[in-house]
Amino acid sequence: MTGRRVYRHGIVARTTHWLWALAMLVLVMSGLQIFNAAPYLDASDKSNPARRVLAFDAQRAADGQPVGTTAVFGHTFRTTHLFGYTDDGMGGESARAFPAWLTLPGPQSLADGRRWHLFFAWALFIALVAYLISAAIRGTLRELVFRPSDFPKLLPMQLYYLRLRKDPPPHGTYNPLQKLAYTVVLFGFFPLIIITGLALSPSVDAAVPWLTWILGGRQFARTWHFTLMALLTGYFGTHLILVLTTGVWNNMRSMITGWYVLGDHDGVGP
Amino acid sequence: MKRRLFIASSLSALGLTACGPVKDSLTNGPFRNVLLSTEHLNKAVIGTHGLAREYKDSDVDRMFRVNGLDTPSDSAYAALARGGFRDYRLVVDGLVEHPQKLSLAELRAAADKTQITRHDCVEGWSAIGKWRGAPLGTVIAMAQPKANARYCVFHCFDTDQNGTKYYESLDLHQAAHPQTILALDLNDKPLDNDHGAPVRLKIPTQLGYKSAKWVSRIELVADLQPIDGGMGGYWEDQGYEWYAGI
Repeated sequence: MTGRRVYRHGIVARTTHWLWALAMLVLVMSGLQIFNAAPYLDASDKSNPARRVLAFDAQRAADGQPVGTTAVFGHTFRTTHLFGYTDDGMGGESARAFPAWLTLPGPQSLADGRRWHLFFAWALFIALVAYLISAAIRGTLRELVFRPSDFPKLLPMQLYYLRLRKDPPPHGTYNPLQKLAYTVVLFGFFPLIIITGLALSPSVDAAVPWLTWILGGRQFARTWHFTLMALLTGYFGTHLILVLTTGVWNNMRSMITGWYVLGDHDGVGP
Repeated sequence: MKRRLFIASSLSALGLTACGPVKDSLTNGPFRNVLLSTEHLNKAVIGTHGLAREYKDSDVDRMFRVNGLDTPSDSAYAALARGGFRDYRLVVDGLVEHPQKLSLAELRAAADKTQITRHDCVEGWSAIGKWRGAPLGTVIAMAQPKANARYCVFHCFDTDQNGTKYYESLDLHQAAHPQTILALDLNDKPLDNDHGAPVRLKIPTQLGYKSAKWVSRIELVADLQPIDGGMGGYWEDQGYEWYAGI
């Protein structure tokens, strides 16, 4: 088996993979730009400081020096120069939640941020639909979707990743942890981040009021939208570590040309 | 002692967005076109007849947050405010058969609509207010729009530091929505100056910047292009979307 070349990723899977890599990057950065215009999250319908779960602020200390703060569930941390009081993209620092190097565009511009965000929201949506259709036709979805029978294999697989077990449990193209991650992202995080984003539109709220209601209200929908962004960013970090540690060139080649060489890392990749 | 900086910063953010039109060719080109297509898709799929959620009295924010700027400094406005708006007349003109000059008493007579709705600011915050006023559709009908009238433009008593006048616009379809009103009262009291006295637009099915404050004149037009920046409103001329339902 080892050393044999397999055609693993079809053209649609590869194109949509890079399309949503780009879309995710732009959506996160332009989303943080939009967030900066109201740098707090409430678990409520209307804005309500009593139900604030995350807040960035800037204050002036007794010595006159500006202080940036981040408050998570009421616990306040000093985050000057990183969050709250940070790089404003115009050569200085000012009161803003996320720094200019994390936002798109860099300097504060809500109108521009919204245009970047809504354009790439379509890219994400189209990539998701195209991938799901193609994967369903090619049969990839069958190999990819997590099933109840995969549950008993999760712990052995995790032990294998932690080098506490010699061999992975028997599995198909994708191991049970990969299947769990891909299933949660494809059928959970991606659709939910689109739905929570839609719930923020007044016209959608007027047409489908129950959507905002089941999310806990408008500010809560904004909080979910941000939380899903954080979860997807966490997924991306894990994905990147696995790409780098399980044969980076083989992984990259397979996602660019489609061809993957079976070897030591087969079935434990990103 | 610590002093909050964010209040100043949100004002400076408004100032920055007001610095000039969106320059970026991407944001003004393909991004904007996709948004316009989204608007059409939005209309086709979910329509524009949906009603914004209405709330209970107990949900109301007693201290309703002021959106945009506070009391305008225009001298004409200051004079009217000193006189308790007794001399205020809402002008309805342009492409109409019968131009109107409506006093507050006349507007109050038509003010049969109360709604407790959520105001969603483009910045991301929300507040709930109880608004009472005259349906915009009723007021426009009094003036009898001509067949070629397509938009109503709201001219306001509000001039920014660059001398640009605040204005907004809706198409006649949005104007006729049952929740689109010319509000006179907020939370059972006549509007105060910061909240848009004596007359402001309230359209809960779109983002807050559409709900123009301090309306002095409603002009019916066939085309928005010739007015100011040509995009149909003060914020629209600075890169925000004319259709604010997204």
